[in-house]
Amino acid sequence: MAANKQQGSYFGLFLAGATVLCAGFAYFGGGTGKALLALGAIALIGSLLGFLGIKPLEGKTAMNPGPEGMKLVGAAVCALGWILTLSGIHITASTGGRIVFALLGIGVTAVGMIFILPAAFNKNAIWKGDSGATERARTAAAAKTTMEHSR
Amino acid sequence: MKKTLRNSCLSLCILALILALSLTVRAQTPAPAAPATPAAAAPTPVVTPADAELKDAAGKAPATADLAKGDPGGTITGTINDVPAADSKAGVTLPDVANQVGQNKIAVNFVWTLVTGFLVMFMQAGFAMVESGLCRVKNANHTYMMNFFVYTCGLFAYWILGFAIQMGGAAGNSNLGGLNTLTGEKSMTLFGKTWGLFGQTGYFLSGHTYDVGVMVIFLFEMVFMDTALTIVTGACAERWKFLTFAVSSVIMGAITYPLYGNWAWGAGWLSQLGTNVGLGKGYCDFAGSGVVHAVGGMTALAVSMIVGPRIGKFNRDGSSNPIIGHDISAVLIGCFILAFGWFGFNPGSTLGASANGNLRIGTIAVATMLAGCTGTLGAIIYMWALKGKPDASMSGNGLLAGLVAITAPSGFVSATNACIIGLVAGVLVCVSCAFVENFMKVDDPVGAISVHGTNGLWGVLSVGLFADGTSNYGGSWNGVTGSVTGLFYGDASQFAAQLIGISTLMGFVFTLSFVINLALEFFVGQRVSVETELAGLDIPEMGQLGYPEFVFRPEPAYSGD
Repeated sequence: MAANKQQGSYFGLFLAGATVLCAGFAYFGGGTGKALLALGAIALIGSLLGFLGIKPLEGKTAMNPGPEGMKLVGAAVCALGWILTLSGIHITASTGGRIVFALLGIGVTAVGMIFILPAAFNKNAIWKGDSGATERARTAAAAKTTMEHSR
Repeated sequence: MKKTLRNSCLSLCILALILALSLTVRAQTPAPAAPATPAAAAPTPVVTPADAELKDAAGKAPATADLAKGDPGGTITGTINDVPAADSKAGVTLPDVANQVGQNKIAVNFVWTLVTGFLVMFMQAGFAMVESGLCRVKNANHTYMMNFFVYTCGLFAYWILGFAIQMGGAAGNSNLGGLNTLTGEKSMTLFGKTWGLFGQTGYFLSGHTYDVGVMVIFLFEMVFMDTALTIVTGACAERWKFLTFAVSSVIMGAITYPLYGNWAWGAGWLSQLGTNVGLGKGYCDFAGSGVVHAVGGMTALAVSMIVGPRIGKFNRDGSSNPIIGHDISAVLIGCFILAFGWFGFNPGSTLGASANGNLRIGTIAVATMLAGCTGTLGAIIYMWALKGKPDASMSGNGLLAGLVAITAPSGFVSATNACIIGLVAGVLVCVSCAFVENFMKVDDPVGAISVHGTNGLWGVLSVGLFADGTSNYGGSWNGVTGSVTGLFYGDASQFAAQLIGISTLMGFVFTLSFVINLALEFFVGQRVSVETELAGLDIPEMGQLGYPEFVFRPEPAYSGD
């Protein structure tokens, strides 16, 4: 599915909902604010459901479903690293100790970001199969030609 | 039936939108006008010797008849007669002069901040050229349109919510007149200390935030936010669904960017690491290596992982194919536009040119220039020596990497240190691009993750290493007296504060962006169909080609005779 009228309508609804929701935040103290908040939330949810409804029309994408659990584990490990760093601020009062905690936190986050998440996304990656072989061959040939001309 | 229902829903929402906007307009009804000058409300001034001298000076000032003859030398234009007097009968008094001096300081700072903000806004053109040039011709219109529309999406989101979250508690900037209406920081008390979480004033720039100073800071901060948003479009180019890009950009401009921006610049908890737990001057990010570039880079990494690599990028054995961009001239011109705009980015971040140590703007501009220079050198020499060619796209990325890296430390480092920071960035971007592509198998057509993410983090770290303690912006930074000083100049605690900032960028910003975009993958779908991707996104997504009269003509075979 390419871009179409339904997408435009639901995006308009999404923006209108977000605007009304924020107006609700801005005037939350009064009754009007709460009403706007509720109306905005309804519009936002409506737009999300609309997006979900037209999503299947997109057709096949060059992606295979991956292990969703592993993706969430990767994200959790990334967040855990940050929490470790924050804990270090309060666990120790020494600058050296805080540096060590921060480095540990960065290390843990890096494990999630560099090892777990890419592994999750690449596990069933489409380039590991035959799909896209034609385009791959075309891309490789184009690149080869360009390189040869540049020599 | 479905169509009617949808149209009715839309009409209802538009009505609600109009109601919401009309509320903000009502709230913007100006308060009763203040006196023209503060001195007007003051009691009748006592005539002092100084007043007498002022009267004497007024008498000696060039008369209207003299000015009518013209002033080619510029020596008689702008005199005491141009200072407005509160009481015309009493003439110009010392309070009048003092008020005018104060207003001149704020005026200079307003103009400086606005003009540098305009330069940063122009960087959008540079980003558009760089990103489109590095993509294939079949996706040119789509890539240009993402860069164009991200400005609108970001600006709108920032106006309705983002600015309130980021700067809603940022009162106290004396460069811009105090910004005294931005006092709504939501905070929490933890272990006996108060930590800022997010701002709460400034939705729709309405109510008390209908203020001249607030408008200036809004414009300046908004263009910074938009720079962060446009980084993501490059990393996900050539396969990102336009609808999802638009929704994702609105959310990033409303929530992800402003949240980290508040923590670093809007009186949030990172900036309080100095006052609360004695870590240097708190997290220091002068112009946004972390706030702008690393936030953009981390989000780019999260989204490009979810969107997946372009068809044909990787082979079955995991090796990668280069996918050559269609217009290297656009890339290099775009890089120059960005380098020009960076003179708004870094020197503009003083938020003024007058008072509070702001004359350092020259040093900041030179540091910016030099880091860009050594960044380019680093990338060119690396590619030339190791790969055999001074690769044009990596040269451009080297320039940008140097500029990204110097953005955070530009206000605190010497020219020599700026060169070192830029040189490291130039090499780092080449290494990082190879790592992201070959080890992580993440497809980033323009190198945005490495240019902005990796080097944004390097820039944040380099403040903790290279800040030399000579800057003095009003005697303190983030509420801690003294100058920002890094590890190499004796303050390890500043290094610790910077590491906490890096951990927050990687652990919080990346994760938040990842979760938001994973949710969008569920609701909207991030990627275009295989057919669309193979045909090029221009026609299916945008309805027209970027270059409709472009004719592909194969080169004749080279015989060698």
